[in-house]
Amino acid sequence: MSAAVDAAREIAPGAGPATTRLIEAQMRAFPEHEAALRKRFALADADPIFCETLAGMIERIAGETLAAVCDDYRWLAGAVLEEELFFRREGRYRLTSFAEAEALVYADAAYMTRYMNGLLLSQLWWANHTAVLAWFRDRYLPANRPGARHLEVGPGHGLFLHLAASDARTSEATGWDVSPASLDQVRHTFAALGKAPPPLSLVNLFEPSPEQFDSICFSEVLEHLETPAKALARVHDLLAPGGRAFINAPVNSPAPDHITLFSTPEAIVELVSGAGLVVEELLLAPSTGASLERARKFALAISTVIIARRAD
Amino acid sequence: MDDAAILAGLEEIIRELFDDYDGPVTPALAAADVEQWDSLANVQLMVLAERTFAVRFTTAEISGLANLGELAALIRAKQG
Repeated sequence: MSAAVDAAREIAPGAGPATTRLIEAQMRAFPEHEAALRKRFALADADPIFCETLAGMIERIAGETLAAVCDDYRWLAGAVLEEELFFRREGRYRLTSFAEAEALVYADAAYMTRYMNGLLLSQLWWANHTAVLAWFRDRYLPANRPGARHLEVGPGHGLFLHLAASDARTSEATGWDVSPASLDQVRHTFAALGKAPPPLSLVNLFEPSPEQFDSICFSEVLEHLETPAKALARVHDLLAPGGRAFINAPVNSPAPDHITLFSTPEAIVELVSGAGLVVEELLLAPSTGASLERARKFALAISTVIIARRAD
Repeated sequence: MDDAAILAGLEEIIRELFDDYDGPVTPALAAADVEQWDSLANVQLMVLAERTFAVRFTTAEISGLANLGELAALIRAKQG
């Protein structure tokens, strides 16, 4: 057995084989990340079974490019630290408009590839990201009604959409995005995971649509928008009466393309309520290793997840 | 500002930021010694030090310091 495998097993002693292989690959690309990985897998809520499921998905999505994906995670960690430095100094995110994010991030295909690859691994390496995905699978989806029509706006890699499409209660799933490259990413994920992709459409959320859904996933989109309140109003209108939404946005989470800063979870809850949605459940998942109290005290990132319902 | 004054100022920051740590704060103290001292907290430490001592660090300086003593020396050098 190689030293790298031994090291990976030491970092996460209870981890399954896919998790161990991913840690091993990450350690090869980014040995300085060992302390962070140790901290992440020492957490009591690092459910090894869910982590292993997620690691298996990531491994299949990355495929033969796993080493490059691990390199890209290293790059992402550096990019996030740069944004963190700006945020701590200035008390705001660097970018303030969608046009800036489009010019600097979204229109740069090479940048986007690295960014998305890095974020793929963050689903496992960042405890708050894993917690949100687990809550979606274990808490949100089981309360959908049988035969639910599910929409995801901005499906990213497609991990949430894959879970929703695979859920027995979902009769139809679909994904909307404004970026053809993002939809290609979702197609790749479904192909890698051996499932036919659901209908995926180039749709701007802000344009009127006659469709309505029983379930909407809106994860890590609000912080990318100039008008999050308007977006939530659209989510409300797209829900059928009694329909449910899974809304996830981070507070104090500087990143290269985040433009709207939420300073407290309560600010996001108020925004959701203000859109006419009834907040039913709330998950606050602080950044890896931080207690909620510490995250609030030092303005650390907190993934704020709301399960809401359209009342009328 | 002399070394002792800089270290005293840094100790105040360390005690506030890393509130689970109750060990000694010496020039040899490094991130590996403090559970809460990760890469994001290191950025917070550096920005608090910038404000306290009216200096500005480069990104390379922020990621390249081995321990508190090196940080104190850098602050002293920047203060001239």
